Amino acid sequence: MDITVHFYSYFKDLTGCEQTSEAVLVGATIGDLLKQLIARFPKLGAMQNSTLIAVGVDYQGRNHVLKEGDEVSLFPPVQGG
Amino acid sequence: MKRQLAITTEPIDEAALLSKRRISDGMGAVLYFLGVVRGTEEQKPIGAIEYEAFHRMVEHQFNLLFDQMEKRWPVESVRLVHRVGVVQVNEPSLWVEVVAPHRGEAFAACQWIIDEMKRVVPIWKKPLA
Repeated sequence: MDITVHFYSYFKDLTGCEQTSEAVLVGATIGDLLKQLIARFPKLGAMQNSTLIAVGVDYQGRNHVLKEGDEVSLFPPVQGG
Repeated sequence: MKRQLAITTEPIDEAALLSKRRISDGMGAVLYFLGVVRGTEEQKPIGAIEYEAFHRMVEHQFNLLFDQMEKRWPVESVRLVHRVGVVQVNEPSLWVEVVAPHRGEAFAACQWIIDEMKRVVPIWKKPLA
């Protein structure tokens, strides 16, 4: 199944894009998706422990199971204010 | 609890915000905080900060924070404005107002929402020369 992935802040520089699509197996978790994305965009690897991940507009952990049509966002720690 | 949120590229108009303040007779504390862009970032001089936001999620996360604020303190109203785009040094990037019956609640709620914003609200900054 295909998952749309958005990158924010300097993750756009690390990946060279704002958005991509990644095919994952049915039942894949965010952790699985992250591994695939790091294989495609190795510069994300150094940031993986501090990477924040949202599905839609809610934060989710690495064990969250993805479903068809999910929109996932990856970004570094937030810095508002 | 009344809540008002604005994520805007426009300068924060303090006078307009203050003129729209409405409080009921039971409120004894009105607290507002202005966050201003400093002229240094990591000890290097800068000219401005560019703020980027994931807008839909920003609104959702602020609303979750407002829900929690309402449960924790007897706040009558909260108004929050956050700039996005380029904000020059000395210009405000954040304005928060909390109205509550007593100062302790207003200070605590205002401090809390700014701390939580910096933890969960997806806004990022990029220093510009």
